[in-house]
Amino acid sequence: MIEYLVDGPLWYLSLAVFCTGVVWKLGSIIFTSRKTDLSVARDSATSGAVRTVFSRFLPHREIAASIKMQVIAGYMFHLGLFALLFFAAPHVLFLEEHILGFGWTAMPHWAFIVSAQFAFLGLIMLWLRRLVNPVSRLISTLDDHVAAILTFIVMLTGCFALLEGSPALRLLHRFTVELWLIYFPFSALMHTFTFVPSRAFTGAWFGRRGIDA
Amino acid sequence: MVNSRYIYSPVSPTQLTAIILFVVGLFLTQVSVAAVPQKHENFPQGVPTINPGSELWREIRRRDGSGEFNEVNQGLLVNELLREMRNSQQIQQGISQVGQVDSGVLINAQGKRWALFRMTTLADYSAIAIAAIFVIIVLFFVIRGKVSIEGGLSGNVVKRFSDYERVVHWTLAIVFLFLAITGLILLLGRPLLIPLFGKDFFALLASASKEGHNLFGPLFLVSLIMMLISFGRRNIYEKGDLTWLLKGGGLIGKGHVSGGFFNMGEKTWYWMVILIGLVISISGLILVSPNFGQGRLIMEFTHILHVVSAMILIVVSIGHMYLGSIGSEGALEGMKSGYVDINWAAAHHDRWGKLCREQDLIVSAEEYARLQGQTGSISQPVTEQGK
Amino acid sequence: MSERLERGLETLRNEIDGKVKSFFSSCVRCGICAEACLFYTETNDPRYTPIYKTEPLRKLWQKEYSFWGKLSSALGIGKPMTEADLADWEELVYDGCSMCGRCSMVCPVGVDISMVIFKVKHGLAKAGFSPEGLVGATQRAVDIGSPMGITMKAVAATIKHVEANTGLKVPLDVEGADYLALLSSNEIALYPEYLESITKIFDHAGVSWTLSSEAYEATNSGLQIGNKTIAGQLVQRVVDGAEKLKVKNVISPECGHAYTALRWEGPNFIGKAYPFRVVHILELLDELRAEGRLETTGMEHERLTFHDPCSIVRRGGIQAQPRNLLQPLAENFVEMTDHGSMNWCCGGGGGVSSNERAEELKLTAFNKKKSQIDALKVDAVVTACSNCRMVMEEGVEHNEMEVELLGLTEIIAEHLVDKHAH
Repeated sequence: MIEYLVDGPLWYLSLAVFCTGVVWKLGSIIFTSRKTDLSVARDSATSGAVRTVFSRFLPHREIAASIKMQVIAGYMFHLGLFALLFFAAPHVLFLEEHILGFGWTAMPHWAFIVSAQFAFLGLIMLWLRRLVNPVSRLISTLDDHVAAILTFIVMLTGCFALLEGSPALRLLHRFTVELWLIYFPFSALMHTFTFVPSRAFTGAWFGRRGIDA
Repeated sequence: MVNSRYIYSPVSPTQLTAIILFVVGLFLTQVSVAAVPQKHENFPQGVPTINPGSELWREIRRRDGSGEFNEVNQGLLVNELLREMRNSQQIQQGISQVGQVDSGVLINAQGKRWALFRMTTLADYSAIAIAAIFVIIVLFFVIRGKVSIEGGLSGNVVKRFSDYERVVHWTLAIVFLFLAITGLILLLGRPLLIPLFGKDFFALLASASKEGHNLFGPLFLVSLIMMLISFGRRNIYEKGDLTWLLKGGGLIGKGHVSGGFFNMGEKTWYWMVILIGLVISISGLILVSPNFGQGRLIMEFTHILHVVSAMILIVVSIGHMYLGSIGSEGALEGMKSGYVDINWAAAHHDRWGKLCREQDLIVSAEEYARLQGQTGSISQPVTEQGK
Repeated sequence: MSERLERGLETLRNEIDGKVKSFFSSCVRCGICAEACLFYTETNDPRYTPIYKTEPLRKLWQKEYSFWGKLSSALGIGKPMTEADLADWEELVYDGCSMCGRCSMVCPVGVDISMVIFKVKHGLAKAGFSPEGLVGATQRAVDIGSPMGITMKAVAATIKHVEANTGLKVPLDVEGADYLALLSSNEIALYPEYLESITKIFDHAGVSWTLSSEAYEATNSGLQIGNKTIAGQLVQRVVDGAEKLKVKNVISPECGHAYTALRWEGPNFIGKAYPFRVVHILELLDELRAEGRLETTGMEHERLTFHDPCSIVRRGGIQAQPRNLLQPLAENFVEMTDHGSMNWCCGGGGGVSSNERAEELKLTAFNKKKSQIDALKVDAVVTACSNCRMVMEEGVEHNEMEVELLGLTEIIAEHLVDKHAH
């Protein structure tokens, strides 16, 4: 029964909530009417927007030293997660069979394990930092903690099912993924998509003034 | 008036634990309901190879000259095998087509000894050791009581651990706890958990634990290295440490003992973690990657080393967790906020406390609250203005 | 709900546009913005974390736009916004933020935190939760024409002094001039050398210019207090004055926020584009230099550096011009380690220097600028904003530093070749 639900209706529900939620939120950002800026631009807003979308991936030299942990652990987690989500063999197969209809070369198994280890270590250290640092403690919301813990649980159930020999463990992983997909559009996890328009808006604002932000 | 303006009511450790336990419980119930028997797959057809067993057969048949299979040489075969098993303290190495390590070994009597040791002695003593440490802690609490600070907490604090240092410690702690729990499931699962959960559920639990244990293992090594770099220098033994030890560290009796940034007890625990932890890590790496020519003997030995080292750390860490939290007044704060009360410093690390006083590093309770973002607002709203 | 709270919330509500929704959806509470903010780095008080200053608006956004907020309201379990939600943030937003925008440069998900804080200021200002100093300044600006109460009489007196010192005429209310020059109250009161300098420079370069008796004030208290309506009124005065005199360009003086108010935000405040161009004095001077119309002689010999006024450089875009103008005149010029668009604020911008309650905090924040100056071991700091200059002079005196504060336009004027000498 559970197998039927997790592989069937719940999967479709989670996918629907995820896609609708993401599109809705992005739409509400992009299609909200914006007042035209009546001041005369000094330089191109568009090129500023595009530039900033990419330039913010690297911290400014001036503050890099004081944000080492966020940058290092942050990239360990994000890059590890990205690698294992899109290049781990079981995931590539899943994407091919259930969503896209096409796949690509997966990374070797050892690379899968190493990516997962980076992702775990990064996430653990980031979440712990959120708990011990006074600034993070003050500004963090319940949503931040739930998002981190839920993501960790998804990764953990994935790790448990690594042998790919137990239907129950596979179902557990899939179930937590579905929970995660449903939670996604209503949480801070949306930064996955909204960072693009945010950086673009700010980049455009600075770009009009001729500042490389 | 301190009036903290938090965005949300901060989730207390108890609430956080409750949330985590709830979520864990949620998926554990899912798993137990979802436990389905393993499906057996058809094994693929093998490629015909000469197998050592038939080689042995042929050997024995040739001894009576006939080369044929008959009652006599069948009996001879059985006797041969039994004799080997009874007498052998060494592994009989034969010849095999398969060119892997140990593939020429048909019978490994050593293995049986190892298996029995692991399933009886090792498992039993491990369980006893864990039970024992809890008993010791309870006894310690009953006899000695909570280690309290003379004069209590003052409210004035001094910075002891940076953000990064606390993150490193808690990362190591979380990774270690995860490895300890999954490791104990693997070690003690059969005798303890199968009667509790049944074979099907335990199979899931064990499989999941093994995968989790293997993946998190290297993270322990990385955490150890971070730990070594962050805290190594302050844990080097120095003058005054022996005195601390001879005075029982202040745990026995109520005398005051002098200590530096870390006292001798802490330093010893630290080096236990680093050194024994390295043994665990390296033995773990040997165990998890059998493709470097490790034979069964090496694996068996490494496995025992791994379990024994791990059990030492697990048992002592339980004591560490007790003393670092509820067992000693004012101890946990250092690892939580990074600040410790100066009275706590005076009681346990007086030489360091004195240094902080001399360097004017003491932070008042009010300043400490400000640094935690708990200052109340000083805004004075003005009269109606602004259209 | 009180009327003032209602007004404040309504103002905040109208400030929630696509950008705000994007920004609040993107923030993951990483805390990197705190490391860029001098109010946090010099106090280590987490409440000065830039994104924390946006709480009033974030709470409203969450209540009315987020799923959980809307669900809570629907179920009747949502907490209503109270006056305290606004009032308690007054100190953080007015005392603990100079609108320098350094946070907006570093946010990894691209939030323009400074812009959002400005929106919060608008809500607080409309609700009447603003510091006394700024309220007074705004009132004077609206009633008298200057936040420091400087009337045309005072300006006329300064003009007289300048004419006497230079022997040149200061054009007033000249219709059809190319450039209308504005002044800041600070300059009139504390640095009248600025007016003298531009008189000399424009005469030297042959620039057709004028002052206006009806529009002499460049500073915008409305911007500082965050009241966009008043800000618009004050900008309109300049526009009216400029239109009356039919000038082609309006010069924004050496004042940071005045440039922001007039050049970038002004047209949006009044709802229409200008019929004239707005230049910062440094932009104009750089244009003159590039055209070869500025002949200078001699150099400054002291070891000196340039302090980048936030509203002119980082938030204004005028990064190269001050260097183009200063470096040819300075033998021993060194850059601060963090310079240009990533320089640190003097601590007194955005209305902080007009806020007496923020005096102590402002001096603490100055420690960052002090550390920059100390590291370079310079004799002088050149800047192009009278407010920065005043704030830094205060800070230098408070810390008993041996550093001179100089204005860039003055330095240029001092090194002009005297065309009248034969």
